[in-house]
Amino acid sequence: MNIKQTLKENKSLFLKKWFQATIETYPKDSARILGKDANRFDNPVGAITRESLENILDLITDKYSEESLEKALDPIIRIRAVQAFNASEAVSFVFALKKIGQGILDDSHQRQFDPMVDQIALASFNKFMKCKEEIFLLKATESKRRVHRAFERAGLVAELKENDLLGSKKS
Amino acid sequence: MSKELTPDEALDKINFTPKSGNWMDTTPSVQIKPGMYCYAAKADSVKTLGLPNARPWNPLEEDWKLPENWQEILHQGIKERLEKFRTFKIFMDVCVRCGACADKCHFFLGTGDPKNMPVLRAELLRSVYRNDFTTAGKILSKIPGGSRLGGGRPLTMEVLKELWYYFFQCTECRRCSVFCPYGIDTAEITIMARELFNLVGLNIDWIATPVSNCFKTGNHLGIQPHAFKDMLDFFVEDIEEITGVDCTPEYQKKGADILFITPSGDVFADPGTYTCQGYLMLFKYLKDKYGLDVTWSTYASEGGNFGFFTSHETMKRLNAKMYAEAKRLGVKWILGGECGHMWRVIHQYMDTMNGPADFLEVPVNPITGTVFENARSTKMVHITEFTADLIKHNKLELDKSRNSNRVITYHDSCNTSRGMGLLDEPRYVINNVCDNFYEMPSNTIREQTFCCGSGSGLNAGENMELRMAGALPRANAVKYVHEKFGVNTLGTVCAIDRAALSTLCEYWVPEVEVYGIHELVGNALILPGEIKRTQDLRMEPLPGMEEE
Repeated sequence: MNIKQTLKENKSLFLKKWFQATIETYPKDSARILGKDANRFDNPVGAITRESLENILDLITDKYSEESLEKALDPIIRIRAVQAFNASEAVSFVFALKKIGQGILDDSHQRQFDPMVDQIALASFNKFMKCKEEIFLLKATESKRRVHRAFERAGLVAELKENDLLGSKKS
Repeated sequence: MSKELTPDEALDKINFTPKSGNWMDTTPSVQIKPGMYCYAAKADSVKTLGLPNARPWNPLEEDWKLPENWQEILHQGIKERLEKFRTFKIFMDVCVRCGACADKCHFFLGTGDPKNMPVLRAELLRSVYRNDFTTAGKILSKIPGGSRLGGGRPLTMEVLKELWYYFFQCTECRRCSVFCPYGIDTAEITIMARELFNLVGLNIDWIATPVSNCFKTGNHLGIQPHAFKDMLDFFVEDIEEITGVDCTPEYQKKGADILFITPSGDVFADPGTYTCQGYLMLFKYLKDKYGLDVTWSTYASEGGNFGFFTSHETMKRLNAKMYAEAKRLGVKWILGGECGHMWRVIHQYMDTMNGPADFLEVPVNPITGTVFENARSTKMVHITEFTADLIKHNKLELDKSRNSNRVITYHDSCNTSRGMGLLDEPRYVINNVCDNFYEMPSNTIREQTFCCGSGSGLNAGENMELRMAGALPRANAVKYVHEKFGVNTLGTVCAIDRAALSTLCEYWVPEVEVYGIHELVGNALILPGEIKRTQDLRMEPLPGMEEE
């Protein structure tokens, strides 16, 4: 059986353990609540985390690219990028997969699995930086975009156009 | 139906092992993290308002430059408030820590920080109360380890910093209070905490400077009367270009029927500016059709009230000018624009603060004869109540098809929904000006609505991570209706929402745009004498007019 088939067969076990490990990156009292399988609108972090992890597992049992990995990682990283994690804490959940693999896979599969986890990790760094850049851009341009644009339309300010102030691109 | 547990089975499920350690230690001692806090109030703004301890300071620095006797000031401040406000006293005493509120706060759900559970956030202050003001606390504090046993702790600098950090991670939205079996209003605990901070000069700038501006020039942005008029003149030009109708408003008109006051965000910040154009068009329509005389004021040029986030005295000072202007102009009553916390102030506090406004008349819609009973004492009516009443009596001619490209959902502002019960009027208006309305899931709307994450003065830039984390539960529901029904428009009746939700959407659901309800009314309203309309108020082609 190849690694992808093995992962597919053990998907629910991987998902259960990976979800648990990810939720445990939150303080204990929070993890207790965020880890509940509640209505997705009552517990968005739990629900989105679970979905995101499942999508990533589905992806690596099939064909995937850096781009498709980033897309699958987007919902979970988008959340972790605005929580009080530092960069390493925000993406640490990916590395938990290696340890989970050790308990499920045999050695030869584990050797194939580790580089896959590395690829997920690299994609998660990319996604994390993109989310942070979006946040910085929102910080830099929000008030200008809201207030300055209205003033500019009214002809109350004339020197600089909105685009000059916003820089190269919209987030 | 699921099998009911027998008593023995139920008991088996209870974990009888007490948790080790103190619940207060769920997170390490407070670390003020960039992205999660707001900058300190500028000394000048604090000085303008005559509030204590105006000086430059930085929350990230060790020394917060407090007066030497800060503990005594805060102790006295708590004591006075416990005596003055029965709610505060009850809310300090009555919580049984059942945890019903724990997972109801958008900041807890979004940040995952346990100290953002409303029960725990309030407990940060309760622990000080218990230590210093209760008999049990005083006795226990004399025995070694007793304070911890009683859940009390002395007010140290570290505790103060923790209080400051977390009470500026609450938007006073009151969602938690909906679920509290005792009806504890955690917002009022935050309000008290922020009053206490102001006693020692610990406000944030996003609140202090707007309040100072409002105190000096009449609105949060500090825009002077001529600029206020210039902006409205500009809207009038735009509307004329779109409709061919001149909607020039009246300013400071003595003896007008109604004084109209809206948050300055509607006049100065997109996309509220389009909502503002909707108001101008509505008033023009009512003037031409029914002779209704509405005036604006460049003096009472702010409906919002950031004083509410400072202290009750400051809130009172800012609220008073609206009524002073209504009195000066001799209008019958006040019509208020689409705003959130402005209505909480009016509905819950104004009457005992500056009321009763008995120099004004009980608001009656002169066109329909409807008496606005809920505003009998405050004399101030929310514009969606007013417009809903006009529509109900067939007093407006509307062309819904002009909004047919908008697939809309409605975000209940916390303050209008939980603070004053305004739930159905905005929906009624939307359904009369749009065809494609879809509700978000029931546990995210009406009384259970999720906050935008930026209310109560937290709409700053430096705390963007906090705002976006707090916005997650709301955004999650918006994304759901976007994906399920193709929703592209998020309607709201709050100026802070119009600004905050726009940023929320940019980060979480970029396909959705934010609209005020009266922008949609303005698009649909058929003005007497209008030319063939080809553009909406954003000057984009109306549906079916893309080629023209």
